[in-house]
Order: sequence, then structure tokens, then C-alpha cells
Amino acid sequence: MLRKGFLSALIGILAGFMFLAVSQVMAQDDEDYPQEPIIFTKPVKAVIFDHKYHIEQGLDCDSCHDDPFEMAAGTAEENEDFNMKALYQGKYCGTCHDGESAFASNTRCTLCHIGVKGYNRLMGKSEGGHEHH
Amino acid sequence: MKEQRSTSKPDYVTDEERREFLKLGLKITGVMAGGTVLSLMPISDKEATAELVLKGYDNTKYKPHYCMVIRQNHCVDCEKCKEACVKTNHVPEYGFRTTILERAATDDEGEKFPVFMPVLCNHCLNPPCVRVCPTRATTKDPKTGIVLMHIEKCIGCKTCMAACPYNARYYNEEKKAIDKCNFCWDTRLSKGEKLTACAAACPAHVRVFGDLSDHGSEVWQLIHQPGKAVWVLRPETGARPCIFYMND
Repeated sequence: MLRKGFLSALIGILAGFMFLAVSQVMAQDDEDYPQEPIIFTKPVKAVIFDHKYHIEQGLDCDSCHDDPFEMAAGTAEENEDFNMKALYQGKYCGTCHDGESAFASNTRCTLCHIGVKGYNRLMGKSEGGHEHH
Repeated sequence: MKEQRSTSKPDYVTDEERREFLKLGLKITGVMAGGTVLSLMPISDKEATAELVLKGYDNTKYKPHYCMVIRQNHCVDCEKCKEACVKTNHVPEYGFRTTILERAATDDEGEKFPVFMPVLCNHCLNPPCVRVCPTRATTKDPKTGIVLMHIEKCIGCKTCMAACPYNARYYNEEKKAIDKCNFCWDTRLSKGEKLTACAAACPAHVRVFGDLSDHGSEVWQLIHQPGKAVWVLRPETGARPCIFYMND
């Protein structure tokens, strides 16, 4: 009787630990993507990508990493073909933004292209100011 | 950008203005933003007597008649046009020959997005700046229709700045004269280049530059597509601007 009670208590404690561990891992997963939007500045200034918004659409890390995008930020920007033409061919954002999975790359341009003005606002620069002073 | 289209005659467009656009082969289909933006449509073959359309072009004596068509919804404010203009025409930090304006819009799905609008000198057929200049320092070129500055004659009175409906002029401290867009006449076109620096630098083919007197040119073809809305800025001033705006 005593032994049975000890066993169930042990199982309970173990289960508790496991629950804690699992929930911690899950919590970690939730925050494991950049909380701030990614701003691309090449080949044009500037394009905004928000991880949070895309996670909310039901995507997870595997959806885009390491294909079509490598984990390391800025990798795609170093590629010669990181441009609209490649997107139309189904590369990079064009993997989903093809008019079927998500809106087509050749539509709604300024939803992602925030421009120099959008970039300056995010960087806290004054409106209309030139960069070189 | 949503166009309001109406077949009824807008009240505050003069008959004269309507006729002028008819001569260009365009009819007025709506007025937006309190009359500062006019929606134009190419007149259909039925309405367009070739005589009217051709008369319009015969009336503008300019050949080539340089103009620009802005495919507005393709502009993403990368400002490569501005960079190219500054570099080509040595535009100082405190002024501009061309810039990009921005306004907020909401699409059908309620998503907010910016609309970017490139602006520059409209090289008007009836330029108010030329009319007010006391020293004839700014003129409309009789060959190309480009509104030019002759800085040696400019006394810096800024009357042209006040007269311009498009804020397309600024006082250049170094030149001690007004400076403005001249479609890169001195820096490119007169040297045999076919495009302005801004048009050449645009990665999205937003700024289409060409000869409006040539019906085969891309600019003419773009604004004469059946059923396609085309608009100009501040038509109510009667300046008859030659920068045309459209989407797609």
C-alpha cells in the first residue's frame, strides 16, 4: 500500500517535470524567431519581412528554412539573383507568393516595399533628410 | 489606388480645358481629390475623329515633344531616381529636381499600404513660371517643349517658384539662381542619351520617358490604351502638364 503510493507520487513528480520541460521547449520555440522585422536593403531600399506575421499565418521555421532562405540573416541579400525576377520564377519569397499560396509577387508592391521613407521612419531618421551630412 | 469614375460632367472643369484634353485624344471621366487630380480616358475610336486627335498634336509644335508617363503603382520609393538625378545634375541637399511623395491608402482587404508618387517639373504646355519671369530666365524650348532655365539671366526673385503649381523649383545657393528639372537636357539628352537619369535608373519602369508627338512611342501607346484611366496633377490651374500618371 505504502509502496504503491510512493510509486504514484514518483510518477506524478516525473510527469510534472516532463510537462515543465515540454512547455519550456515550446515556449522557447515561440520566441525562437526574430521579434523585430527583417529589413532588406539590397538590391533596393527597403523591403520589410515580419516573422511574427508569417508565424501567425500558420507557418513554422521549416516552411522557409533552410530552403528557400538560410537561417543566417543577410544571406539572401548577398546573392546576385535576389530580385523580383527570381521571385517570379518561384525563388525566395516567390516560393509562396505566387498568387496561389499567397498574393503574387507582382502585386501589392508596397505592402513589402516600404521605400526609403519607410526605412527612415523605422530607423528614426527625420523625414526627407539626406543620409550624407 | 481606387479611381472614381463618373460619366457625368465634373462641374469645375472648364469647357476650354475639356477641349484641350480632347485634342490630346483624352476625355475627362472624373475628378478626384477636390479637383486637384483629374481622371482622363482615351476617347474611343467612335468619339475620336482622327482630325481632333491629330489636330492636338499638330497644335503642339514640339518635335520631339518630351514627356513622361508615371506608372504610379509600380513605384516602391527606392529613390534610385533621386540618387541618379542628384548625381547627374549636382542637386544640393537642400533642394530637389524630383522627389517622391507618399500617402497612406487602404486596400480592399483593409490592409494599409503606402502609395508613392514621383513628382518633377511637368513641362507644361502653358507654363505659369515662364509667364511670370521678369527677365525671361526661364523659357519653354520651342523644339522640345522642355521648360529650361537660363541661369545667367536669373535674378533670383523666386516669382517662378511661387507661380509653379507643382513645387518643382528651388533656389540654388551655389548657382545663385533657380534650378529645376530640365529632363536632363544639358547633362544627357543634348549629348545623345535617350533617357533622363531618373528614367534610366528606375528598376521598375515607373518613369517612362519619350516623345508624345510619336504615336509609336511607348509614352503615347501607354496613355492611349482603351479604357485605361490616366490622370494629371492639378489640371484646374490650366497649366496643361505633360507628366501623365496611370496605374499598371
